[in-house]
Amino acid sequence: MKFGNYRKLLPKIVVGLLIALIFILPVFTTSLVTLSKFVQIGFWAIAAMGFMLIMRTGQISLGQATFMGLGGYTSAVFMVKFGLPFWPGFFMAGIVAGLVALAVGVVAVRAGPIAFSIITLALAEIMRIIAVSWEPVTNGSKGLVITPPTHIMLGNFEINFATSAVPNYYFIVILVAITALIFWQIDRGRLGGIFRVIAVNPTLAEHQGIPLTKFKVLAFTVAAVFTGFAGSFYAHFLGVMSPDMYGLWQSIQALMMGIVGGISSLVAGPIVGAAVLNSLSDILSRLPVYSIKPTLFGAIVLLVLLFLPKGTGLIDLWRIFWSKVYKEKPITTDNTH
Amino acid sequence: MPLLELKGVTKLFGKLAALEDIDLCVQEGEVLGICGPNGSGKTTLINVISGYYRPNRGTVYLEGKKISGLRPDQVTARGIARTFQSNMCFHRATVLQSMLIGSFLQDKTNEWQAFFETKTYKERRKKIAAEVLETLKLLDLTNEANMPAAGLPHGHQRIFGMAMALMTNPNVLLLDEPTTGMNHNEAVFVVDQIKKINERGITVILIEHNMKVLLDAATRAVVLNFGTKIAEGKPREVMKNHDVIEAYLGTETV
Repeated sequence: MKFGNYRKLLPKIVVGLLIALIFILPVFTTSLVTLSKFVQIGFWAIAAMGFMLIMRTGQISLGQATFMGLGGYTSAVFMVKFGLPFWPGFFMAGIVAGLVALAVGVVAVRAGPIAFSIITLALAEIMRIIAVSWEPVTNGSKGLVITPPTHIMLGNFEINFATSAVPNYYFIVILVAITALIFWQIDRGRLGGIFRVIAVNPTLAEHQGIPLTKFKVLAFTVAAVFTGFAGSFYAHFLGVMSPDMYGLWQSIQALMMGIVGGISSLVAGPIVGAAVLNSLSDILSRLPVYSIKPTLFGAIVLLVLLFLPKGTGLIDLWRIFWSKVYKEKPITTDNTH
Repeated sequence: MPLLELKGVTKLFGKLAALEDIDLCVQEGEVLGICGPNGSGKTTLINVISGYYRPNRGTVYLEGKKISGLRPDQVTARGIARTFQSNMCFHRATVLQSMLIGSFLQDKTNEWQAFFETKTYKERRKKIAAEVLETLKLLDLTNEANMPAAGLPHGHQRIFGMAMALMTNPNVLLLDEPTTGMNHNEAVFVVDQIKKINERGITVILIEHNMKVLLDAATRAVVLNFGTKIAEGKPREVMKNHDVIEAYLGTETV
């Protein structure tokens, strides 16, 4: 085999090994603390992917917390109030989040990109107020406690979430994998092209016969459905659902993970962004002065944006790294498409 | 019945009437030239027909059906394509990629078929790719197919705009100054292409500053001034019209 074949293969082998490592991680550790971190990263990775899918169409959603919360509440209410098992609540979470996104999206995307951001921002706040005041369903600010043992039945096979962290871990890994595969397929196909074109030149896209509203709403809805699924699972994982769990900060976090990961990438970028920012947030939490955490967090994100401008993110560092290894011209966001 | 008909179309920007009470009939198969001094409302007229602007008063009919008030994508879907006065492209996309996405209307498969890349979808894409290559060949852009559209020289970008419009499979093609900034040879090439497009049964509305292009390409001409129609008829006769000369050159009273 020639050297030229290795240079394309080596990065792929490294990525493959990393993915394999994620799947066999519980062999090495079953510690609740470690695996919980990964569950958290997985949840945020899906939220960030959702944000990036919306951003593909040139819109910035400042209300992704809405769909995390909607997903969580829907499945919590189904389980606690109606006594239903996990799966109906889980799928309803996606459906409810999707329907709300559809209804709001139809209005919001027509208002233009800046108004879209403001409307989504307001939506998250409206949802929080509903969660606080609709006491018969949501228990108000006390929140809902999803009593363990919560378990999932897959046929006759029972996964019990209360006894070990491992099922939780695998659930989120598979959920992230499915979401990533679907988003990747969307991004590489016709839909991905249409999304990009709408963002880049809406006027021309519209005059080519592409209905802008339809596709913008589609991106918003698909993102909401998967964020809803993630939110549903995460509520079960944490065992509680309360109104103050999801607010502006959570929406912004999804945004930052997407941006820091790199805007050229819809799947890998958000996953890397979620992993890095989550770990960073953990490290900063250990600092003795608690209140300094958001400041430092913001400062680090600003540094990334300053030193990696034009939407280049951490995922692009990966490409730049390999091009440095092989002394090639680095591939940046400017010439990837 | 005329193919495209405008009845009393008025477009106001604040108190300024960019178009005032325009009545216009476009017959199937003709090349209608529209000219007029700067600010006379030529581009506004195209923007109103293509659905980019809604007229304040009046109606646009295509084959007897009202199309004013529709969104641009709906108007395009009914068979009216347009080019733009400024060069428009999808940043970062190559000519080929842009045109593949631009042929959205010819791709009758739905999003599920596209997502799962079904056999129908793949066959459809193959057909579209063949069509794109044919259009590129027709407009002599084959060598530029894999270049980023934004990086093309000006003349090629103008022609690329026409290629994009053709990918929507139009019955009516609105060309907004296709030869601006072109040298003589390029302009002659564009005129030939307009004639070829017209021979394929596509009705063309051509906005043009360059009188030579207008005289060569158009079968009928309309002159606008301050948002009103001041002359209409055969291009050569219109050019001799007293009002038209006055609009372009002013009166002798100074």
